[in-house]
Amino acid sequence: MNRRKFLTASAAFLATPALLRHAHAQEGPFRVKYFPLAAGSGPHDVAPAADGAVWVSGQRSGTLGRLDARDGSYEQIHLGKGAAPHGVVVGPDGAPWITEGGQNAIARVDPGDHKVQLFRLPEKEAYANLNTGVFDNKGIYWFTGQSGIYGRLDPKSGDMTVFKSPRSRGTYGITATPKGDIWYASLAGNHIARIDPATGKATVVEPPTPNQGARRVWSDSKGHIWVSEWNSGNVSVHDPADGSWKAWKLPGAGPRAYAVYVDEKDKVWLTDFGANAIVRFDPATEKFDSFPSDMSGANVRQLAGRAGEVWGAESGTNRLVRVQTAA
Amino acid sequence: MRLPVVVLLVLIPVSASAAEDGEKLFTICRACHGLDPSDQGLPGPNLSGLIGRKVGGDPAFDYSPVLRKANADGLRWDAERLNRYLADPEQMFPGLWMSFGGVEDPADRAALVRFLSDPNSR
Repeated sequence: MNRRKFLTASAAFLATPALLRHAHAQEGPFRVKYFPLAAGSGPHDVAPAADGAVWVSGQRSGTLGRLDARDGSYEQIHLGKGAAPHGVVVGPDGAPWITEGGQNAIARVDPGDHKVQLFRLPEKEAYANLNTGVFDNKGIYWFTGQSGIYGRLDPKSGDMTVFKSPRSRGTYGITATPKGDIWYASLAGNHIARIDPATGKATVVEPPTPNQGARRVWSDSKGHIWVSEWNSGNVSVHDPADGSWKAWKLPGAGPRAYAVYVDEKDKVWLTDFGANAIVRFDPATEKFDSFPSDMSGANVRQLAGRAGEVWGAESGTNRLVRVQTAA
Repeated sequence: MRLPVVVLLVLIPVSASAAEDGEKLFTICRACHGLDPSDQGLPGPNLSGLIGRKVGGDPAFDYSPVLRKANADGLRWDAERLNRYLADPEQMFPGLWMSFGGVEDPADRAALVRFLSDPNSR
C-alpha cells in the first residue's frame, strides 16, 4: 500500500463509527442505539422484559420508567414521596421489582395498571441503602443494602428476613446461579460472598487482587461468578467448584469496571467509567472490544439483557443504550 | 443570594436532636465514606475536614473528571455549597461517579451539613 492509499484507508477507518469498527472481528455486527429518557431522571438500572418492555429505575426523579423500543413509547411511574430507586429486575410474575432506597422498601410495580406495592424493611433496618435484587430459581427475591445488609423476601407471603453482612458495609451487586445459589459483591469490603438460600448464611470468598473493589457480580451458564472490580479495573471470574480465580485488566490507561453482565452466549459485558465505554470480553479468546459512548460522562452503572440484546442506562446523559448482539 | 443561606445555617442552634439526625442520615453515606481520617481505602473520599477543603480534595482518592476539574478550578466546600450539592449532586457536578439522588428535605440537608461541618463528627 502506498502512502496515499494508506491515508485513504486510515481516513475511512476513522470515519467509521467506533461501534462498527470493533465489530469486524466479532460475532456481530453489533448495532448500537440510544434512547433518550426524561431529563433529570437519573437512570440507574435496567431490566429488559420478555414482553418487549425495558424497565429503568430513575434514581433522581424517584420513578420507574418503561420504554417500549418497538414503538419508542416511554412513560414514568412515580414510586412515592422521597423515592430513590436503585435496582430493578423482572420477576417470575413478569413484574418489575425494585430496591427502593428512598422509602427503604422493596417495590413491586404491576406491569398492567402500574400500581405500586411496597414491602418495607423492618424499622430497625432504617438507612439500609438498598442496592440490588435478584430472584432465585424458587421465586424468592434476594436483595442487598450497602449499609451492610442483605435479605430475602417471599413475594407470595410477603415474609421478609434481613441479615447482617459478615463484614458490614459495602454489600452491592447480587446474582443467582442456574443451580440456585446466591452471590453478592461487597464494594467497600473487597470480597464476594455466597449466600446459602436454605439458611441465609453468607460465606466470604476473597478475590486474589487486594482492595479490588468488587462492585457487581453475574453468573454465567456454568455457575462461574464474574466480578467487576471498581478499584483495580479488572474483570475477574471465580469457579466455586474448584475455588479458582482468573482476572484480566480492562483496556486503557485507567479502567474503572462498574457493571458486569453475562449474555446468553456466556460473553461478558462490562462498563468502564475510565474509558466512558461499554466493554465486551470474550472468555474464549481473552480479547476485549470497547464500545465508547458518543457522549461524555455516560456513566453506565448496570447492564442486563435478553437474547440478542444488551441494555444499559447512561445515568450521566439520561439515555438508555442498546447493543444488539445478533445479526 | 447565597449569603442568607450561609447565615441561616450558622445561626440555627445545633440541638442534640438535629445533631443526632445528621448522624443518622449519614448512615447511608458510610457505605462509601469515612469521617475518621484513618478510615481510608473506601469507595468514596474521606470526608474529615470537609468544610474549607477544595472540592475533590482527598489526595488519596481518584475522583471523576468533573470533580478533578472542580478541584483545578479552585472550588472549595462551604456550608452553602454543600447544602446545594446534597440537594442534587448530579445537577451541581454532571457526570460525577457517585450515585446518589440527593436529600430532598431541607431540614434533613441542614442536619447533614451541620454533622459534616463538626470537626468532632466521626
